[in-house]
Amino acid sequence: MTDVIVVGAGPAGSAAALMAARDGLDVVLLERGPFPGSKNAYGGVVYGRVLDEVLPGWWEEAPVQRWVTRRSTMLLTETQALTVDFRSTDWGQAPYNGCTTFRADFDSWLAGKAVDAGAQLVTSTVATGLIVEAGRVVGVRTDRPDGDLRAPLVIAADGVNSFLAKEAGLLPRTQAKHLTLGVKEVLSLPREVIDERFGVRGDEGVDVELLGCTRGIPGGGFLYTNRDSLSVGVVVSLEHLTAAKVRAEDLVADLKAHPAVAPWVEGAELKEYTAHLIPEGGYDHLAELSTPGMLVTGDAAGLCLAAGIWLEGVNFAIGSGLAAGRHARSVIDSGDAKPYRKALEGSFVLQDHKRLRGAPDLVLSERVQQRYPGLVADLVQGLFTVTNPAAKPGALRLLRRAAKKNGVKLRHLLADGLAGGRVFR
Amino acid sequence: MADRLVVVLARCTDLRAEVDPLSGAITRDPRTAAFSASDAAAIEHGLRIGSAWGARTLVVTAGGVECEGPLREVLSLGAEVRRVPTRGSYVDELATDERALAKSLVAAIGGRPDLVLCADRSADRGTGALPAFVAHELGVVQAPGLVSLELDGEDLVAERRLDYGRRERMRVPLPAVCSVEAAGIRLRRASLPASLAAATAEVPVADVPVPGPAVRVLGARAARPRPRHLPAPTGSSRERLLALTGALLSHEPPTVVGPVAAPEAADALLEFLARNGYLSEARTGWTVQ
Amino acid sequence: MSGDASGYDGLAFDDRMATVEFRVAERAHIVVDSDVCRSCTTKACVTACPANLFAPTSDGGILFNYEQCFECGTCYQVCNGEGALTWTYPDGGHGVVFRHG
Ligand SMILES: Cc1cc2nc3c(=O)[nH]c(=O)nc-3n(C[C@H](O)[C@H](O)[C@H](O)COP(=O)(O)OP(=O)(O)OC[C@H]3O[C@@H](n4cnc5c(N)ncnc54)[C@H](O)[C@@H]3O)c2cc1C
Ligand code: SF4
Ligand code: SF4
Repeated sequence: MTDVIVVGAGPAGSAAALMAARDGLDVVLLERGPFPGSKNAYGGVVYGRVLDEVLPGWWEEAPVQRWVTRRSTMLLTETQALTVDFRSTDWGQAPYNGCTTFRADFDSWLAGKAVDAGAQLVTSTVATGLIVEAGRVVGVRTDRPDGDLRAPLVIAADGVNSFLAKEAGLLPRTQAKHLTLGVKEVLSLPREVIDERFGVRGDEGVDVELLGCTRGIPGGGFLYTNRDSLSVGVVVSLEHLTAAKVRAEDLVADLKAHPAVAPWVEGAELKEYTAHLIPEGGYDHLAELSTPGMLVTGDAAGLCLAAGIWLEGVNFAIGSGLAAGRHARSVIDSGDAKPYRKALEGSFVLQDHKRLRGAPDLVLSERVQQRYPGLVADLVQGLFTVTNPAAKPGALRLLRRAAKKNGVKLRHLLADGLAGGRVFR
Repeated sequence: MADRLVVVLARCTDLRAEVDPLSGAITRDPRTAAFSASDAAAIEHGLRIGSAWGARTLVVTAGGVECEGPLREVLSLGAEVRRVPTRGSYVDELATDERALAKSLVAAIGGRPDLVLCADRSADRGTGALPAFVAHELGVVQAPGLVSLELDGEDLVAERRLDYGRRERMRVPLPAVCSVEAAGIRLRRASLPASLAAATAEVPVADVPVPGPAVRVLGARAARPRPRHLPAPTGSSRERLLALTGALLSHEPPTVVGPVAAPEAADALLEFLARNGYLSEARTGWTVQ
Repeated sequence: MSGDASGYDGLAFDDRMATVEFRVAERAHIVVDSDVCRSCTTKACVTACPANLFAPTSDGGILFNYEQCFECGTCYQVCNGEGALTWTYPDGGHGVVFRHG
């Protein structure tokens, strides 16, 4: 008898299956790809501390490419780049902060942990729908012959397009407004060249977030170092990308051709091109987290945290999956999803989302996206351009001038500054 | 007839080993090990004929532990499975002595099969020689490159492609070794209960001599076709311009045929090929009016 | 920066797609009803699809090929024609296979 059906062996599903199996439940983990991770693409950094409690010493065995010890945020205009660069040796030793890894590797590894704990993984199997009786989810249909499977609890971990959450009415069918499209290139580059170009050694790695490089389409770019490859891509608002009639891969080409980025990627050859959607609505656009007989986790519930300088989905997926798996038994016994919801509210998963609920709107706003990068870059260029024989202009004058050139009113700047202070407080 | 045995020899490997675009290093991903389309076709033929005969169907694969996943899938289709372990790197495996491999596989079968099926050529080794070695080893007839394989009473009737588009239909006396193409047949999918039951099943490993490499591969590199160098055109600037734009070359305008019925379209195509010297009566046996 | 439609970083779109493995299923998992597309004014799918699978036809419809699809969902999210797209996942084990992701 199956106790729990987990749909989707991404980070959320495997975390849920792991905890439910550890609790002695009979767990079936369904994945539509030929192996876990084969359908999944992302930018490139996993923040693994969420695993500390359940897989102590995970960093010894996780399929890590590099440990992120250097994080840069760059503001780009067509001709300028302003970089805030931070490095910390703390991030290069246990318990670490973030690592670059590939999803095919990471998801396979985490699913393996669930299998070790006793979950039954069935790959190449699509859950095609829910079996609902008397308003209660009692199982799923799959595309295999004789494919119906019943269980007292279904955990939907089927990612951003979650057809299960949609079928249960927990998620709207379309929501282009709250989605971003991410496209990424994995570029082959020798290890020594990466070490050289990015100033890192051994298994140290770099995370670069780029703003202002997407032709005014709300979003941003990223560049991460793997062992002997780079991950370079953009994440852009689906609604605005469509309206602008721009092709996403052209934005990546722009990024790679930018004078501040081109020297990093020179001579690198494409190994793989990928595309995937991201739920970026934040707290105000989460799915309902449950319906009788079913819990929703990870991207399926919209739990990816995307707030400009943060793009964290895997840790949130794992966090929600662990909670769903941990409380599966009590949800089954009591027939009530409250323990799951409470666990999420008590953890970073919903707390961070709640705190940053205003971030998506602010970060994706027109001024932050299109005007501020230019304003800041012009201001800095003004400060550092030696204008002899003329005397140096004052900072306030430079600010006024940069604001005017970029079409920003100083009172808007002040208002956005205050709003930012509130959102990121 | 009781106790008949149908054997399928199927290669299971990464069908798309990655060649690094810079270094040329070849990586085979164990997670994507799978049967090629023609290997899958051989398995499906084996299952169909096995069940028509009420016979056992045994699928044997030579390969590493990465083959166990796909073999479990076959297990859940009701066949027996066996794995012949291989050793060495991927490149070593590619260089395996085909004859020694045939010997190991036959030893792993461990009985006298009535029919041995395999793919006409494997996805990554591709010599097509294995069925011949197996037939030799068993001392039976072989019928390679089949596009269809049907039971006709107690006999097998097969069809295969010949050069120049001809086909051959034949009656295959048993026992025999048949290699098949992936034509018009796909491997069935296992039911969910059977997949669940087989998910953790043991895949038996055959206790036979493990074949090693026949040749030693010293290195491999990525294919880098050289660009074709065309001489710069000469002559006056007008001539050079004409040469660069191709205006001096004669082009045959595209021929528009149709819309016409299929036979007429076929005739038009043949006529075009014959007119341009691609077809001759002697080679094809076709008469082109 | 220029805005060429294809390959100005020296990479043709086909070569880009050739880096990805697709295990093509027999069944088309996405079906486009070109009759509905004929009355669609945005043709949003054409530029938005990261795999560039939607080709406008001269009669105002759409020619679609499902074989090299990322299964990302972009098309049905941006489609403005009711009933133009039938969108499902490919049969288990088929479709795109990311080796890195
Ligand atoms: C371009 C991009 C960059 C990103 N960058 C980062 C980053 O750097 N760091 C970070 O932490 N996060 C990042 N994210 C977000 C992160 O990838 C997601 O939030 C995270 O993967 C969500 O995990 P999940 O388990 O909920 O869903 P998924 O990872 O999408 O997993 C869902 C699984 O369910 C399977 N599935 C779906 N439907 C079915 C079905 N019907 N039947 C069977 N199986 C099914 C899928 O095959 C898949 O394996 C990024 C995302 C994108 C797109
Ligand atoms: S957006 Fe929808 S309706 Fe419009 S052309 Fe594309 S598929 Fe057709
Ligand atoms: S799912 Fe994505 S890749 Fe596939 S056709 Fe739609 S937009 Fe294109």
